[in-house]
Amino acid sequence: MKRNARYLALLGVLVLVIAACGDGADDGTTTTAEAEGTTTTAEAEAEETATTAEAEATTTTEAPPSVEAITACQVTDTGGIDDKSFNQTAWKGVTDAIDAGLATADSDFLESQSATDYQPNIQAFLDKGCDLIITVGFLLGADTETMANANPDQHFQIIDFAYEPGVADSVQGAVFGTTDAAFLAGYLAAGVTETGIVATYGGIQIPCAVTCFMDGFVYGVRYYNEVNGTDVQTLGWNPEDETGVFTGDFEDLAKGRAVTQSFVDEGADVILPVAGPVGEGSAALALELGDVWVIGVDADWFETLPQYEAQILSSVLKGLDVAVFTAIREVAEGTFEGGTRLYAIAEDGVGLGAINDDVPQPLQDEVAALLESLKEGSIVPGDQALS
Amino acid sequence: MTAVAGTADFVRAPAEIRRARILGIVYLLLATVVFLFFAVGTEGDVTFRLGDQPGDLDFTVSAQVLATFTAVVFAFLGGIQLTKGFGAKTNVVLAIAIGLFAFSFLGWAAAGKSLSLIGMLGTTVALAAPIAFGALSGVMCERVGVINIGIEGMLLTGAFTGAVVGTVMSPLFGILGAAIAGGLMALALAVLAIKYRVDQIIAGVVINIFALGLTSFLSSQFLVENASGLNNPGVLGPIRIPLLAEIPVLGRILFDQNIFIYVMYLLVAGMTYGLFKTRWGLQSRAVGEHPKAADTLGINVFRRRYINVFLGGLIAGFGGAYFTLGSVGAFNENMTAGRGFIGLAAMIFGRWHPVGALGAALVFGFADSLQVKLGILDTGIPSEFLLSAPYLVTIIVVAGVVGKARPPAADGQPYIKE
Repeated sequence: MKRNARYLALLGVLVLVIAACGDGADDGTTTTAEAEGTTTTAEAEAEETATTAEAEATTTTEAPPSVEAITACQVTDTGGIDDKSFNQTAWKGVTDAIDAGLATADSDFLESQSATDYQPNIQAFLDKGCDLIITVGFLLGADTETMANANPDQHFQIIDFAYEPGVADSVQGAVFGTTDAAFLAGYLAAGVTETGIVATYGGIQIPCAVTCFMDGFVYGVRYYNEVNGTDVQTLGWNPEDETGVFTGDFEDLAKGRAVTQSFVDEGADVILPVAGPVGEGSAALALELGDVWVIGVDADWFETLPQYEAQILSSVLKGLDVAVFTAIREVAEGTFEGGTRLYAIAEDGVGLGAINDDVPQPLQDEVAALLESLKEGSIVPGDQALS
Repeated sequence: MTAVAGTADFVRAPAEIRRARILGIVYLLLATVVFLFFAVGTEGDVTFRLGDQPGDLDFTVSAQVLATFTAVVFAFLGGIQLTKGFGAKTNVVLAIAIGLFAFSFLGWAAAGKSLSLIGMLGTTVALAAPIAFGALSGVMCERVGVINIGIEGMLLTGAFTGAVVGTVMSPLFGILGAAIAGGLMALALAVLAIKYRVDQIIAGVVINIFALGLTSFLSSQFLVENASGLNNPGVLGPIRIPLLAEIPVLGRILFDQNIFIYVMYLLVAGMTYGLFKTRWGLQSRAVGEHPKAADTLGINVFRRRYINVFLGGLIAGFGGAYFTLGSVGAFNENMTAGRGFIGLAAMIFGRWHPVGALGAALVFGFADSLQVKLGILDTGIPSEFLLSAPYLVTIIVVAGVVGKARPPAADGQPYIKE
């Protein structure tokens, strides 16, 4: 029995070691491999530069030689680093910075498997001595605030969170003008729908980080109706009541597929999932059905999910990579400041990704013209009449 | 619950009488609620679509009439429940009543619009399948007295293995690999629980943490870099059974599904027969109820437990493959999202019986798809409230319908041979 107990203890240790590894690439060697792998794809993407947001990232990659590379560390939310959208795009900002010599190869990420991981992960990076800690997502707001107040000299950047002045002043909160970008997607969706019904759903009802996409989408559809005299309906979100369809997390892809099936049952043929990886469930169903479009979020899905390209209409880009890259550059240059920073459509902080080739050229041109109007501010989403 | 059916003068336990009275009052309350909220002031017809295309098989009714009818039925049921009671049929009546309630609720929400009821049923099955596999796996293990908290981990392992093997070889091998991976996880649990007599809850939790850590680690290290070569198995589409699939309503739900759903139905039937009609089932249940007595009769308790826990793992692993090969076609970290735990709840709610487990899974699936549909119908009900609906349903159903459920007597107790 004693001998058995020893084996058991050994097994237990093994389990814990492997489980700990799963929390993210903890040691330097795996991180380097990760970083290199991603860098090659980043280069390949840079050559193609399909989008304006990326174009900006590449134009700013020329770092002054005097600047010393910093260690940037990213804490993900529960969606994981490979979520094809949110965390992955932010991490691209870090790898771009490594590429540009602004961040060291020691830069790292830690994945949060649950909300209780946020604080320990931040603490782990504090212990590691990271120059900049990037917490990705609204859900990390409270924990970032606590840790920032306890460590006032540490540089923090949080995505999708704007603190009230006086609260966690050392943190730079990056927010995005996604309403404008999603407005373009809504217009495009209304232009291609054959059933006259389009739909959107979210992961968790997070004000702005998720719902601004949905707001913009609905406004875009209304604007299309206003201009073209059509009556395209949007299911899944009511910006006035702030009620709609949500899957409840950013993990359950099968639920995303089921929700999409429900929309299709009610006649929708263009779907905008604002739910990180859950949206892949929508893409899978769209590919199977063949007559349903899906619109990507955060990253350009033609690049992150190429297997669904036949049914990808376009993607609502959110320049998380630009924001992260900018913050790293500022820390490296010593110009980093706390406070809220808006990445708006006018400076390509957000935008619309590549549009499917099957979309008629006139409609693509209309969308391009609409982008200019939004940049000028001559059209403001939300001003459209209810339809 | 009601031991003697069919006789009017049987003696009822006080607790049972109390429960019958409470149920009667609940019926009357529901009648009032339905009438006040769903009938008064509701205008417009609601069209329930039962066919694949709009106009195929439509069923139009005035939402107000539907709600009023429901209220009257509920008042009637409440009256009977309070005076005579339904005896052995109480649960059947309650199930029908809940269905009717959901129906009138939908009618109210969709007044003036149309709604695809057939689509909702299809979504129900799709959402229920993984829960059902989890619950069946639990039944398999707990019937021989081993608590399996690790179902979630086995589902996740199955999902991962299914995606990778399915991409590298073929989806059918992916299913096989997923089942074996789940089985291996279960063997680990079995060794810990049966041989080393580790606390079974802790052993199961270890399996979950291990599976989550391992799959997340492998996914972020390998699958992200090489998604097309390792994580792109494709989805196994529905297999339409000729003729039977043409049956209205039921055809689409029962006979136009992918391989996972067929296997789910077969498993329920097979397990029910196996557990209650065969020698194997009798021995298994004996081991779960009173291992010492079973041992005395010459049943090898350890072997029975090992085999059944392994089988439970195979089922969970297979169910895990549903996430990747039967639904989405790609693995993502923690994509099972707690379905294994809901599966455990479904097992208890289904009273450790395969048919009950499937029924419970379908209730969860229906509540989930109802939540989505209500969101689409733009009823103005806050989304957070809608998201809690499946769990609310659980509480109501477990407290109201199931009554006292009794686990196998030796559940969770390691057997020590003297």
